[in-house]
Amino acid sequence: MSDALKVIRSADRIGTQQVIAQLITNFFPLHGDRVSGDDPALTVGTGLFHQRAVVVAGVNRGATLEERQRYHFGAVAPAGYRKFIRGLELAEKFKRPVITLINMPGADASVAAEDDGQNLAIADAITKMNGLRVPNIAVFLGEGESGGALALATSNRLIMFTNSLYSVASPEAIQTILKGHVAAKQTLDHILPMQAAALKKLGLTDVVLPETGDLVQSLDNALQQQLAQLSKLSTAELIEQRQNKYLELVAQFAE
Amino acid sequence: MSHLPKSNLWQTCSACKRHVHQGQWGEFNICPYCGHYQRLNADQRLVLLTDTKSFTALPPVNIKQQRHFPGYTVKLQEAQEKTGETEAFLAGTAAIKQQKVVIGVMDSQFMMGTLNTVVGAGIRQAIRTALSQRLPLILVIASGGARMQEGILSLLQMNTILAELTKLNEAGILTISVLTDPTMGGVTASFALESDFVFAEQGATIGFAGKRVIQQTNSAALPIDFQTAERLYRQGFLDAVIKRENLRTYLGRLLMIQAGDLNE
Repeated sequence: MSDALKVIRSADRIGTQQVIAQLITNFFPLHGDRVSGDDPALTVGTGLFHQRAVVVAGVNRGATLEERQRYHFGAVAPAGYRKFIRGLELAEKFKRPVITLINMPGADASVAAEDDGQNLAIADAITKMNGLRVPNIAVFLGEGESGGALALATSNRLIMFTNSLYSVASPEAIQTILKGHVAAKQTLDHILPMQAAALKKLGLTDVVLPETGDLVQSLDNALQQQLAQLSKLSTAELIEQRQNKYLELVAQFAE
Repeated sequence: MSHLPKSNLWQTCSACKRHVHQGQWGEFNICPYCGHYQRLNADQRLVLLTDTKSFTALPPVNIKQQRHFPGYTVKLQEAQEKTGETEAFLAGTAAIKQQKVVIGVMDSQFMMGTLNTVVGAGIRQAIRTALSQRLPLILVIASGGARMQEGILSLLQMNTILAELTKLNEAGILTISVLTDPTMGGVTASFALESDFVFAEQGATIGFAGKRVIQQTNSAALPIDFQTAERLYRQGFLDAVIKRENLRTYLGRLLMIQAGDLNE
């Protein structure tokens, strides 16, 4: 787990800007949420993916210290979620599939985010993704935790790189509540599934991509394949497939 | 026999720390010295909000698989012994000022009302009941957020509950949230604030990130009324901040307006 965390948090991990530069042509970003400002931590825009118009939303963590400060270390602010909803509305208007790229820390823990209605912005984004009338595919390039990640990840298809993780809270936060309880040989992922392979077994993750070779190239192939499958579904089928996937998964535990 | 008083007659107010005799709390469980609202369990809350003997609980949630997080089973048992409930959520049909509703109550005394697979299933069941019986849904919320011990499955309660809630909106069913102390984390980032009307009980703490976490990442002092119902009301996130003793009257008045809706 700690090795995986090092990889996905390193400065040279593939990020949103690299994926967009290599896979999307004519990318045009939206600026601002038309309420309170622009959140640089989340890029939302539209462009062409193999001649098909798509909407892309991706978190920026930044590589250099300067970048990381500018992007607020990838902690998406309420304005970011509202800009994301703008992107989703654009996608529905023009029937464009949505691709989200996730590598982000937990919530933006700040007075400003609380005062700006972070909780409601996240809830609105989850609701919009739940009922989205076009296909959506979420890609975990790195980590995603808490409600913010859920807002970007509630989708028809979930693609994860092997080292990436999706969790209710950061591994560090979960370690804290585990103190004094954990058996030495058990890994955190074993206790609480959060890494790609464990979540695939759970039925949450659809595609696990290897960490070898050209990562962007393998993502390109996976996206094309999943988009081709989803484009056969009607609007009603897309919504049903997405909602049932999650409802059936949680109903396995309690109903 | 013992000349000592029976146990539990005296309790300490969680705010002013003064000793309060059982008879002094009154029917609303308010500290006679400082006016602080004591946290209520689900049963106490139902007594305050619903007409006498009108509550009928929904069938219990079927628990199919338990997560095996170290120390979790013991914690659950302790919470069950303490509260006499199986989980942190209780729902049923009831009447409020003679108007039939589905009401669900989260119990902050049961593992801080945290959202897990069972609580989530209970909330979805309450929503589905409101939909099938075409009754208004009232959710009384008290929660520390997602329950860490059930990991990603707790997180996925948020989108699945929201998906069901959307169906109520599409069907034109009234939804009301009453946020009580505390309403935090994933619960606020999903269903708590998405109802037609969002009320808070006076003095409730409401927020997404915990104060301690915010303090750790920011050096500046927090505003004195940070994450209070009163501040959120001023900022426009709540429709009303209501005294505990007035909650039932407020709900009754809001429900009554429905009688004036055109029925197709």
